[in-house]
Amino acid sequence: MRLPAATIWDIKIQCVCSIVTAREGTDVELWMCGNFGQASLDPPRIVINPNRLYPIEAAMRRERRFAINVAPASARDAVIRASRMRRRGPNKARVVGLPLREDGQHGIPYLEGCLRTLFCEVEQVLDTGDHRVMIARVLESRVNPAHEGERPLLYPEVSGTPSKWPALSKVVRTAITATGLKDAVRGLMSRHRGAPPAPDLPANTYRQGGQTEEEIREILRHGVRDEGRMIAPPERPPAALARKVGVCVAGTGQWGSFHCNLFHKADPNVELYVCGRDANRAARLARACGARDYIVGLEKAAEDPRIEALALILPHHLHAWGVGLAAAAGKHALVEKPIATTLEESDAMIEAAHRAGVILMVAEDVHFRPAIREAVAAIARGDIGEPLYFKAHAGGLLRPEGWKADARLMGGGVLMDIGVHYARAVRLVMGEPDRVLATRAQQVNTKISGDDSVQVLFSSQLGWQAHMLLSWAGPRGHSPDVIVLGEGGVLHLWPGAGYVDLYPATPLPAVQLLSHVRPAWLAEKLILPRIERVRLPLAGEDQRGYLTEVREFLAAVAEGRQPATVPRDARRDLEIVLRAYEALREQTWVGVGSPSVTPSSRGGGPDGSCCL
Amino acid sequence: MRLRFETMTSPYLVESVVESPVGLIVSESRGRVNAMTVSFFSEVAHHPTSLWVSINKQSLTHELVLESGRFSLIVLHEEQKEIALFCGTVSGRDCDKCSRLALYRGSQGLLHLEHALASVACRVSETRDLGDHTLFLAAILGGEFDSRQTFRRHLLTTDLASPK
Repeated sequence: MRLPAATIWDIKIQCVCSIVTAREGTDVELWMCGNFGQASLDPPRIVINPNRLYPIEAAMRRERRFAINVAPASARDAVIRASRMRRRGPNKARVVGLPLREDGQHGIPYLEGCLRTLFCEVEQVLDTGDHRVMIARVLESRVNPAHEGERPLLYPEVSGTPSKWPALSKVVRTAITATGLKDAVRGLMSRHRGAPPAPDLPANTYRQGGQTEEEIREILRHGVRDEGRMIAPPERPPAALARKVGVCVAGTGQWGSFHCNLFHKADPNVELYVCGRDANRAARLARACGARDYIVGLEKAAEDPRIEALALILPHHLHAWGVGLAAAAGKHALVEKPIATTLEESDAMIEAAHRAGVILMVAEDVHFRPAIREAVAAIARGDIGEPLYFKAHAGGLLRPEGWKADARLMGGGVLMDIGVHYARAVRLVMGEPDRVLATRAQQVNTKISGDDSVQVLFSSQLGWQAHMLLSWAGPRGHSPDVIVLGEGGVLHLWPGAGYVDLYPATPLPAVQLLSHVRPAWLAEKLILPRIERVRLPLAGEDQRGYLTEVREFLAAVAEGRQPATVPRDARRDLEIVLRAYEALREQTWVGVGSPSVTPSSRGGGPDGSCCL
Repeated sequence: MRLRFETMTSPYLVESVVESPVGLIVSESRGRVNAMTVSFFSEVAHHPTSLWVSINKQSLTHELVLESGRFSLIVLHEEQKEIALFCGTVSGRDCDKCSRLALYRGSQGLLHLEHALASVACRVSETRDLGDHTLFLAAILGGEFDSRQTFRRHLLTTDLASPK
């Protein structure tokens, strides 16, 4: 049956699959491409048409050199991963797991293990609409003998929603197409619904995947690449301790007790001590958590030769004092978040640790939370396309007492106490915010001088926004504490759960099937949320990240290295929260500056790391 | 119609530097019509919806496309090797190739091929000199495909001969 082509994808001019590589500063841009071809014989030239929305286009135009890495048919999975990766994301080769190499002869990055690689140099760039045609001289066509006799991967094998079982899918497709079954169904539908009007191919193609100049300008207004993430979750869990480490937990309250248990569980090589102001209380806690001994007074603990590191589980206003004592005694310190109540105190703590050559780490469990790591990975993989909104809802009914009820000692209220956690989450998942706005409902708990609820809005020049609703004023209920919404899906992160839920924008096959059920109300009943989602499992038992955080500190101490998160990270979290308080007071948007240190510039020195 | 041809030794196969899909360009001008095998074509843009094809300046097809400013691009599938060999080894100046092909007029008035993977009606919008070839950029006016062939894969230059 002859059918009119509805879009450019129906006419099958996309064919041989390749991954194009071009240098982008210190990174390498990647693009899965099925649109290129040879255009002359002598000299050999190719024509390729990168999409102007993709960072590869700018990289190819600027660098003038690139490689077309032709994929063998056996590389289907890798090419599918490459085709789905986030458009504006950096480090694409690492995200997709492709072996990137640098060719010495041409100075062009390329991928190892391809069918062949064309090393190319751009001769002409033509303005041809939403894609830019580049005519390039082929400097070398390098065949990979390892794939001799193998055909290239073809675009229809990776486009659309690729099947998990391609061989089975092909058999089914062949059967229903070659036998005319598909045509028969189409004919029936046509008789039932009436023949559709002749499609307008250019108009349909534009609607589904084309852009005008104005649209391109609008989309690129927030940048063609997103390099706004200055911090990242650790790539691997910390190693077990290879030697004994003497650690003293200073603080005998509920949170001190929690940390004693964490250190006790963290590693058999931990020699645990407990420190408190009250001897009876410290002794009781030491017995309860299997500590070797207890010590009365932080000064004594700092001077104790059995102790190598202190875990300072102290009120916020005592963090600077505790770190000062530890550093003066040459002890490493893990201090609770927030790092301090002011930036000046933070700087003094960082400087003191640096001068003493000891590790200072701030206990920020969010940095080690598996769900956050999975969300970051899912975004990089392209699971939700370009991330647009981050929404956090945290807290729960709480009536703080003692120092926690005093805003001067706490450094604030719920925004200070919980806000630093979610500021870190925003930074890990979305990147560094540029501006903040804060506002709040009426104070419910008038027994505390700090805020008992607040909502905060962050925005970034890269085009995303983040919202936090933090409250001790009422219950939180059962809902994700973090939602990340992108153009291609939404992620739900549940506190303490062993999974992250992904709701993709493209309906899953079961949902697509059920969407045809009539009447419509029955389809709505049948399409339950659980069949709309993909549940991404999280490895390990430590779903909140506390244990991994403690293990990371211990491993850093034992191995004499800086931990996966340096105190500058925590200083930045505090800076963001302090700016949010400023916005709350001023009732206007406030700039939050930019972090002074990037991960690549980290090293020994006053950037916040230790100088071991 | 069954066409029988042996493998070809065209420079487009032995001197090509990359595996490519194989198609036909069908062109008409002043009563002359020709079909030529091509492997130098791909997409230009989604908006405006356009493609490119690079054609040897010595060919009859080059002359006809320049004259008429219109052509059809036929994308061939793996079972159409003989058509590609026939239209790639015989000159349109010596033989009426189109009379041996199952051509029909598509909705845009241009000639399409029965049972091909797809047939695309194009109008030339721009040309570029590439030395031995001319690069034609063309607006895609419309296209058709055979619903019974959609499970087949593209015919590739490697199905005809291996590139160097």
